[in-house]
Amino acid sequence: MDLTPRHVPEPRRSSRRLLPVVVAVLASVIGLVIVVMFLTSSIDYYCNVDEVGVREGCDDTRRVRVQGSVDEGSLQSRAGNTSFVMSFNGVSLPVNYEGEPGGVFQECIPVVAHGRIVDGVLLATRIEVKHSNEYEAENADRLEEAEKSACS
Amino acid sequence: MTTGTATTRVIGWIAILTTAWVVVSAFFLTPADVIQGDSVRIMYVHVPTAWIAYLAFVITAVASGCSLVRKHRTLGFDRVAGASAEVGVLFMAMTLITGSLWGRLTWGTFWQWDPRLTTTLFLFVTYVGYLAIRRVDVDPVRRARRSAVIALLAVLEIPLVHFSVVLWRSLHQEASVLNTDGDVRLDGLMLFTLFSGVVAFTLMFVWLVMHRQRLTALSDVERVVGLDASIAARRAEHAGGVRAT
Amino acid sequence: MKDLGFILASWIITLGSIGVLALVTVRRARELSSRVPDEHKPWV
Repeated sequence: MDLTPRHVPEPRRSSRRLLPVVVAVLASVIGLVIVVMFLTSSIDYYCNVDEVGVREGCDDTRRVRVQGSVDEGSLQSRAGNTSFVMSFNGVSLPVNYEGEPGGVFQECIPVVAHGRIVDGVLLATRIEVKHSNEYEAENADRLEEAEKSACS
Repeated sequence: MTTGTATTRVIGWIAILTTAWVVVSAFFLTPADVIQGDSVRIMYVHVPTAWIAYLAFVITAVASGCSLVRKHRTLGFDRVAGASAEVGVLFMAMTLITGSLWGRLTWGTFWQWDPRLTTTLFLFVTYVGYLAIRRVDVDPVRRARRSAVIALLAVLEIPLVHFSVVLWRSLHQEASVLNTDGDVRLDGLMLFTLFSGVVAFTLMFVWLVMHRQRLTALSDVERVVGLDASIAARRAEHAGGVRAT
Repeated sequence: MKDLGFILASWIITLGSIGVLALVTVRRARELSSRVPDEHKPWV
């Protein structure tokens, strides 16, 4: 008995057959780029204030990402310019940022500032807030408690 | 009869009811956070989708391992693996999107190449590649073997993602619940809502995986049934032809 | 509620995508089920 197909089924459109291959190749390339370009540089995302100029990779001669808490009473905003002092482990660093930091930026909160250190001042081009892993209900008592504990 | 059964219908309805409760609780009952304010309400969707994505990829790996070991049920396990990865990729995408929106409100930026975000994106891209490779092979057995090996390797990324915030310095905060010191750093109703969210998203995941693995089974069977039907039709024609002559 | 747009977007995108995947799955299941006999559906 002849079982050869009488109606040869229409072949799947080549674009449909190729799509998974293209996606797989793209995923491999993107994965490689993530590892080579971004993962290696992100492993130590920031240097703490007390490590600037001390720890390897935290040279104060090049662009740095520095982490520290915004000192209480140090925050000043004038004509779109924000300045504050950030501290970590008893070491402080003045920061100057042209703009208003976004997120939940405020005093006593840990931040990561990106920029260059010129004459002992970090001229920041980006400020990020490093939020803690604690979640507490907002009410008047808690606000006072949080402010006290954050700056103590 | 489609891919639905009494079990999937029950799971589906419980998932809808639990989700409705989570929405009500997240928007109207839980308080704002003392620092984050209302943006904490994104957490009730961001954290469950991340956990369920992890769970999905672990199930993919376990089912893939079973498909390699238990050869008489290779395809059954492989379909579960594939369905779980599909839903996991969707959940991981939602984790990245909701995390990005939360990041803009809290950190002040949508994205930053810090260890947690970078490893999470890498995990997502890995499983997109896994799903693409599953579609390259038409033969189900070959598809099962090839993708099982990838799934068993890809799952090793999960501890790296989860502990990236502990191993390295990250902008992303450490875990508030599944952390290394065992402390839970969430207020009562916040924690309960988060837990309800995990239950709701787990039920959605189970419902989707059950339906999608049956869908893959139907798709595989359709090819075979279609071929059988063609052969039967040809045989009938042939028999008719022989009688006529 | 502050930042309602971001919060709503997170929820709508997430629940919406899951809902769309569920709908697509059910629709495709109906379509395929009509072409596959019940004896090939072990869950029935």
